[in-house]
Amino acid sequence: MLTGQIVNGFVSGMMYALVAIGFTLVVGVLDKLNFTHPEVLMFGGFVGVISLNVLPLPWAFVAAIAVGGAMGLITEFIAFRRFQGSDAKITAALASMAVGLIVTDLVQKLWGTEAVTLPPLTGWMAQRFSLAGVEFPNLQIVIVGITLGLAGGLHLFLERSKAGRQIRAVAESSVSASLLGIDVRRVTQAVFLISSALAAEAGLLLALRTGAASSDIGLTFGLKAFAIMAIGGLGDLRGAAVGGVIIGILEALMFYFGLGRLSELTVWAAMILVLMYRPAGIFGSTHVLEQRA
Amino acid sequence: MISDQLFFTGINILLAWSVYVSLITGRLSFAQGAVMAIGCYSSGVLTVRFGWPRLPACVAAAVVTAIVAAILGYPALRLRGVYLILVTLGITFCVRVTFENVNYIGGVSGFGGMAGSDLSTVVVAVVVVGSILLWLSLSPLQRSCDAVREDDRVASSLGINVTLIRIMGFSAGAAIAAVAGVLYGHYMNFVRPESFDVLLSIYVVLYVVLGGVNNMFGALLGAVVMTLLPEYFRILSEWRPTVFGLSILILLLFRPMGLLTFRLVTARVRKGPMAALKPLADRVQ
Amino acid sequence: MTDQTTLEVRNLRKDFGGLRAIENLNLDVRDGELVGLIGPNGAGKTALINMITGFYRATAGSILFLGKDITAADMHEIGRLGVARTFQNIRLFRRMTVLENVLVAHKPFATHPIRALFGSGFNSGRPAFNEAMRLLEMLQIADKADQLASSLSFGDARRLEIARAMAVRPRLLLLDEPAAGMNESETKQLVDDIRLIRNQVSSILLIEHDMDLIQQLSDRVVAMDYGRKIAEGIASDVLRHPDVVRAYLGEDVEQVVR
Repeated sequence: MLTGQIVNGFVSGMMYALVAIGFTLVVGVLDKLNFTHPEVLMFGGFVGVISLNVLPLPWAFVAAIAVGGAMGLITEFIAFRRFQGSDAKITAALASMAVGLIVTDLVQKLWGTEAVTLPPLTGWMAQRFSLAGVEFPNLQIVIVGITLGLAGGLHLFLERSKAGRQIRAVAESSVSASLLGIDVRRVTQAVFLISSALAAEAGLLLALRTGAASSDIGLTFGLKAFAIMAIGGLGDLRGAAVGGVIIGILEALMFYFGLGRLSELTVWAAMILVLMYRPAGIFGSTHVLEQRA
Repeated sequence: MISDQLFFTGINILLAWSVYVSLITGRLSFAQGAVMAIGCYSSGVLTVRFGWPRLPACVAAAVVTAIVAAILGYPALRLRGVYLILVTLGITFCVRVTFENVNYIGGVSGFGGMAGSDLSTVVVAVVVVGSILLWLSLSPLQRSCDAVREDDRVASSLGINVTLIRIMGFSAGAAIAAVAGVLYGHYMNFVRPESFDVLLSIYVVLYVVLGGVNNMFGALLGAVVMTLLPEYFRILSEWRPTVFGLSILILLLFRPMGLLTFRLVTARVRKGPMAALKPLADRVQ
Repeated sequence: MTDQTTLEVRNLRKDFGGLRAIENLNLDVRDGELVGLIGPNGAGKTALINMITGFYRATAGSILFLGKDITAADMHEIGRLGVARTFQNIRLFRRMTVLENVLVAHKPFATHPIRALFGSGFNSGRPAFNEAMRLLEMLQIADKADQLASSLSFGDARRLEIARAMAVRPRLLLLDEPAAGMNESETKQLVDDIRLIRNQVSSILLIEHDMDLIQQLSDRVVAMDYGRKIAEGIASDVLRHPDVVRAYLGEDVEQVVR
């Protein structure tokens, strides 16, 4: 049914949003593209594989955030620390691609190339609820809840806290921020940490939803985050969130209308069109596209 | 089989060169998977469905791909480098999904019936393309490309039409990748859209990054090393992505221009063979 | 030499967001003239050059070159029409040799990519090569022709920029503070070089802070401050003009107080 599909799409959209927000945060604050992001997403699912066998479920959520954060810090150190200048942006992007290759390979060496099923959900999580005559797994509530919680928390953090203000200052101009005494390197680390934590969490949620962790998720699901980010506006968190939800619902609608096989195309076609004709994205401002101080 | 490996080495050389040609104008393209697919399928359709002979089909495929690339490139090449990466990755994705949904060319299950290319065809192609590139590297056009790559605003103020140069680079690269696709298809007899995916685009770019971004021999070296070496060292083959990733990382940290950093000088006062090779003094990206 | 005005700037205005960089500017450069452009830092001089060459788009007003409206033209079109410039902070193609930097600007090669691909032989055609060497000799850097541009000394780098601009065979040459950072002997050499160049370029607009240079070279001087023209005339008159003195002295007072 239509409602069912739309709700499904909405939930997918939430996960897209979570990944896209993380990615766009790095772009907006640091003006860098982190191509390891999709692999962190992928690894989040495997965090689930590891932790669900030893820990109760709620701890898995925490584990994903922790592991993701750690991966973010490592990525920043390996792929971005050395390549700071504006001509080094492409080098940094390439370096992060290289790291991504390594992560994927290691995961495949450890778990093989086939998807690894997660232990089945138990208790409340395995049950379903009804809405408007359609049944949904309770997991969907958890996904939406966690996403909203994290996104909301991030928003509050950026708007209200001192650290958040520092991050926003660096986003405006890292040169000015450092002149004001802000430790740009700390901010950089914090941004990578937050961004990757969100990605890993999204990866865990995705794996829970599909019931398995797969190692090629990065290139499919993860790259979509890039596209959504571009659609919503580079560096714009709101845009990433809204974009994610829109794409999630659009894809669900495509399935509903029998165009399922083309659903993969949706997001990329949309992104290409947006980048070429309204490069700032839906919410973005051209400010982001100009040379940054 | 040795001829198999040499064949794929040749294909990878052509693909690496296709990235290189666009790179000399300052634009890094991750669309090789897409343009290779377009070339391959174009030739496939012409030979299998319309009975064209192979050479005209190859030429036609290259031309068609170049035109498509020019059309896509016109708005895309204005984007700043890093965002162009996103768009070209997106193009690769879209082309693959599109081809998977067109039944005329077999959809997901693939397209078969192409035949007739072997090691000697690839060698010919590599020699021909290589000669053209060498000619280019020593011509005034190379200077214009270098100028565009290094400082496009200044190049523009000197009268160089930067957009045109970039589109030409992108299309020429696409044509070369198309030829690689044609040869690939006619060798494999049967191709699937999934062979032309994002990972291929990324790998091919990394060949050039590894080998050296300033001259055509770097791309050649990168392709040869990454295709042939794993065949002779077991461990490289099993851990290919990791070894590759690590090599790239180490390289980017210590020698970001790649293994072969020299640039071929296009004009000099003093004659003599050694004057042509100028190692680069500074590590500018 | 015709009587035509090479460059006409009419009611030019440039806003950067809320900041008005240039206001209601009118300026002429006539055929055969060297016009000096002076003014304190931030007066809008480089912004003006950027608009003439198409680096910036004017917010309002018009710019005519040899009678043709180039206000909204693309950079490369303006370059091809015959406008060339040098840069305050030297923008050479550092990875190319000195010779290549000059050759890249040569007419058939820069403007016709296809012909550039088939440029005859390794030295890209004798005529272009000879012309390039002539320019290099004129600016005393011919002996460094095969060196990388990045290896040049400051003074040589400036001269290479001028040589490169000349290779375009411009009708209008815009020099943005060519003497900045030069010592006395280098500046003296520069004066001679510019005098030599005047034989080949019909019109020059020279931005400079060095008033000696301005006085020695300019036929006419225009002074700017805060994006507006504040004086115009022959060098000695303009340099004594009360508004000009105030514009510069105001700056000096600040420096003394600091």
